[in-house]
Amino acid sequence: MTPLVNALACLVALGVASLLWKPKSSFYRNAALLAGFLLFACLYTYLGSETFDLKYLEPQLEHYPLRMLMLCLCLSTTSLTLYRRRYLVLAQGLWCWVELFGGIALYYRGIDVAWVRIAALAGITLGSTFLSRISKEMEFCLMVFWIAIWVFF
Amino acid sequence: MGMDRREFIKSCSLVAVMGLLYGCRKSAVLGDIASQLSVPELKRFEDEVRLAMSQAKKTLDLVKVPTPCALKIPGASTLNRFGMAIDLDACDGCGKCILACNLENNVPLVPDEDAARGRFMHWVELRGNAPFMCAHCGNAPCERVCPTGAANHTPDGLSAMMYKRCTGSRFCGANCPVQARKFNFNDAQKLGLARQFNREVPLRDKGVMEKCSLCLHRLQNDRLAFKTKLSVAATPEDAEWRGRGVKTACAEACPHKAIVFGNWLDEKSPLVQQTKDRILYAPRELAALDPSVVFMRGSR
Amino acid sequence: MFRYLMLAGLALFLPGLYALGYSVYQGPSAWMVDSQTFWGTPISLFVFWIGLAHAGTLLSAIFLALGIKLDRRTALIAELSTLVCLVFAAIFPLMHLGVVKNFYMVVPLLDARGGMANVCSPLVWDFCCIAVYALLSLFFFAIHLKSREIPLLEKYRKPMAWLLFPLVLWVHTIVSLDFATTFVPQWRGAFFPLYFIAGAILSGLALVNLLLCTEGYRVRLLERLMLVGSWFMIGFWLWEFLTKGTFCTSAFIFAGVLPQLRIVSFVREHRTGRIFLSLSVLLGLFLERYFLVSPTQGSSSAAPFGWVDMGLVALSVGGFMLLFFGARRKLSLSMESEGTYFGEVDGSDMAMVEEAAREAEALSREKKRGIDLSYIQPWSSDEYKVLHLPLLVGFAAALVFSLWVSAQLPFAASPYENIEVAFANIVPLFYPIAALIAAGELLLAILHHLRQSPDSAHVTFARRISTIFAAILVVFAAVAGTFYAGGASRASAESVEASPLNVENPIEKYIREMSNESAESLPATMDSAEIKLLWNARCAKCHGVDGRFNEKFVREYYPVPQKLDAARIDSLGLDSLEKVVLDGRVNMSAFRGRLTEAEIRGLVAYMRHMAGDLSSSSAGDSAAVDSSAVDSAAAGEAP
Repeated sequence: MTPLVNALACLVALGVASLLWKPKSSFYRNAALLAGFLLFACLYTYLGSETFDLKYLEPQLEHYPLRMLMLCLCLSTTSLTLYRRRYLVLAQGLWCWVELFGGIALYYRGIDVAWVRIAALAGITLGSTFLSRISKEMEFCLMVFWIAIWVFF
Repeated sequence: MGMDRREFIKSCSLVAVMGLLYGCRKSAVLGDIASQLSVPELKRFEDEVRLAMSQAKKTLDLVKVPTPCALKIPGASTLNRFGMAIDLDACDGCGKCILACNLENNVPLVPDEDAARGRFMHWVELRGNAPFMCAHCGNAPCERVCPTGAANHTPDGLSAMMYKRCTGSRFCGANCPVQARKFNFNDAQKLGLARQFNREVPLRDKGVMEKCSLCLHRLQNDRLAFKTKLSVAATPEDAEWRGRGVKTACAEACPHKAIVFGNWLDEKSPLVQQTKDRILYAPRELAALDPSVVFMRGSR
Repeated sequence: MFRYLMLAGLALFLPGLYALGYSVYQGPSAWMVDSQTFWGTPISLFVFWIGLAHAGTLLSAIFLALGIKLDRRTALIAELSTLVCLVFAAIFPLMHLGVVKNFYMVVPLLDARGGMANVCSPLVWDFCCIAVYALLSLFFFAIHLKSREIPLLEKYRKPMAWLLFPLVLWVHTIVSLDFATTFVPQWRGAFFPLYFIAGAILSGLALVNLLLCTEGYRVRLLERLMLVGSWFMIGFWLWEFLTKGTFCTSAFIFAGVLPQLRIVSFVREHRTGRIFLSLSVLLGLFLERYFLVSPTQGSSSAAPFGWVDMGLVALSVGGFMLLFFGARRKLSLSMESEGTYFGEVDGSDMAMVEEAAREAEALSREKKRGIDLSYIQPWSSDEYKVLHLPLLVGFAAALVFSLWVSAQLPFAASPYENIEVAFANIVPLFYPIAALIAAGELLLAILHHLRQSPDSAHVTFARRISTIFAAILVVFAAVAGTFYAGGASRASAESVEASPLNVENPIEKYIREMSNESAESLPATMDSAEIKLLWNARCAKCHGVDGRFNEKFVREYYPVPQKLDAARIDSLGLDSLEKVVLDGRVNMSAFRGRLTEAEIRGLVAYMRHMAGDLSSSSAGDSAAVDSSAVDSAAAGEAP
């Protein structure tokens, strides 16, 4: 997967995240958006991986759609109105979870775990438990952090 | 606390069923003892090898691998790493190695229904018309997932099995990419399917995994004999045991000398000398796992 | 109603019990296994039931932790179903073992034999996670059940819920790693953790919805979640199809397509329709697990689904009905009359209504008081305060454990010599250990709290609980002690003499002839230093360099051999000792062909000599020096 496709995935996640948790939007609408995004992410990874013979799909891409979903979840928590800190921490924790256990599964098949990414995520997760009021600036900072983790680590 | 009639009847019936189950177990055990006395004839082993050869997989997907070097696991020996090379140019797939291995390691027969399904206990089998056995990977996936540590690595590079510690979870078998591990689904001794041709190798109980041991007992015998002789005459260069002169049963039995056993880390070993100018191959699934048993074909 | 369901369960359970007995007797060949996977039905059932076991704690604990209201009756039913499911989830991995009696070797406790389970193995993670999960779920359920009687306990429910929240997800993640860490092509998948969790949640929701149908009411929130869950499963199935090209069509139809019928109001509003939806999801997910565990299913080499497989399915389904409805009946018989244990449900969608009301209230409060007041300092809310110390201690303990097994502790040696234990190998054990210890501390805190309370009933209750726990601890210690000591060492039946040799091994024959020829030329006893070397090389591994058995090594693999003391040797006589060395005895292997007769004679003489040394204390010093000298000779030897 080229860096461009990778960055584009991040952009798509950002776009979907902005549609989530609108005030007045129903439970089904949010769920359908997330499930639809998961379907889209699967197809996106499949087409973006450039290996159309997926018998030999790059193992690191096996949990790529889930990582996209988690990034989207994290980004979307900034638009929540209630219990923001709690859901922010939970979404990041879930992303960390996907990375950690995906990494362990790959480790047993001889691929190194992306410890830097996991450590960065765990660090932010821990740090964001101490956030008090999440201002617009802080939201922006967090988004930049997540996108940086996505693109660079 | 009172117990009404229904509950009483229920518990009674439960107890009855338990008793019944236990009863079944007992009578079945008694039935088996009768057949224990019969020991299978040698001919049955030969027939089974022929049957297994007729059902063997015809293809083997090989890729090039480098010459195995010292192991990287903690506590590994820097002097010994035993392994084999199978010469595909010399081998004609006669299958004599299979029978030799079965007799050396007391590999049991299997019942007819297992044989029909291709589930043999043979440690060596034919794939792509060449002998195929556990590759004793330096980075063995089977050992990593064994919950009890029954599958372990010796410092000399053998992937060994402790039968008494095996709990039969079959995780190792599931994780072997080439299905080289065999599970004792049957109590071969009770069914009269096992025979101890070689007293140095124990018969395995029902419910444990087994596989090629690279004739561990032969290596061990040689090591111990070496240690015993050490007091008599020890020259400095021979002060360490390198397993010279040992051969596995399959290598011994091969009429074309296509199986070469030796020590990958010993320059004087026939293995190192004969593979020196050959191209080495391993099954595609194992190539990244540092196998000790490899195939050779052509010359460099 | 419950009575008939119970009886139906019993009717399924009894034949299932026979299938269980048969498959334990017969071993893994009893059920459907093929040459590639070795596992088959029991493991599919295990994955299925452990998934169902998530319902209770998921709904109860996670909803509680996140502040989503669920009425008491639904929560209790869900928690009870978790416990019952766990019973069946525990049976299958145990019964599928080849050597069932060795199951305790999977417990990562160092035993007297110097053996320790391989903590790198996902099976060991499984065992730990599920054991801890079962204990904590039981604890959580008990707190919930008692909290009406003792309101003080209500304070501890939320901390327990936070403790269980990650554990629920952790357990199924670990189960998924059983598959995802292997090299089986059909099980490749770093996405398995969430995929399994999604499947587990969906099946758990379906089970709770089904159970609510038998109770005669519904919770719309759970039905909606089930529908949404099926959407996510479709996403995961698409990804599985894209990565591996395999697709379980029946699972897709039953758990992906049919649940969409909830959109039709006719299906949704009738109880039969709801039962149908839940059953369809359950069936679909069972088929999916079955498909996953047996990747060769459908190919020609696959074994047929036989009566034992069906019996095992019947066992778990029937057993669940029997146990669950039995317990449910018992609870309502003895307790419902007091009107305290199960809350009243009027059938309206309480959860959604309450949630909406609460949200509105919170919003208005926030607006009124200003945002600063609604901000709670991190780690300072009530539920965190209770959890604080226990969790810290738990994490410290988990850290010490991890350091110990990965050989990082300076003062204690790692139990692993030949295995490299990396961080990624032991991370999965981290949280279960921490959670277990934290829960233990919470229990202590609760007991302490109860003892302080002015109500004398509470004090006696606390005392009773303490006594029960002390008793459990003693029993556990006794059981653990038995394992630690290695249990009874009964001689195994297989003896070398049992199978007569008809074919002479040519090598053996050759050596025997050689030794017979040379025996006359050799002196009766060999050089004593040489014999000592021989003993240390050949015999000391089991019998020890001084003739006392080498306990640590021997207990690990075999029943304990005889101590070679003077009385024992005298009772046997030299001739029979030589025979034993030649032909073996019980667990001792035969040395015929590996030792010459002269050597054996020398060894027997040496044995006597050592036995004499052992009995006379005066010779103790010289023996000690000898043994230390030969230790170094034997040290280089591999097991």
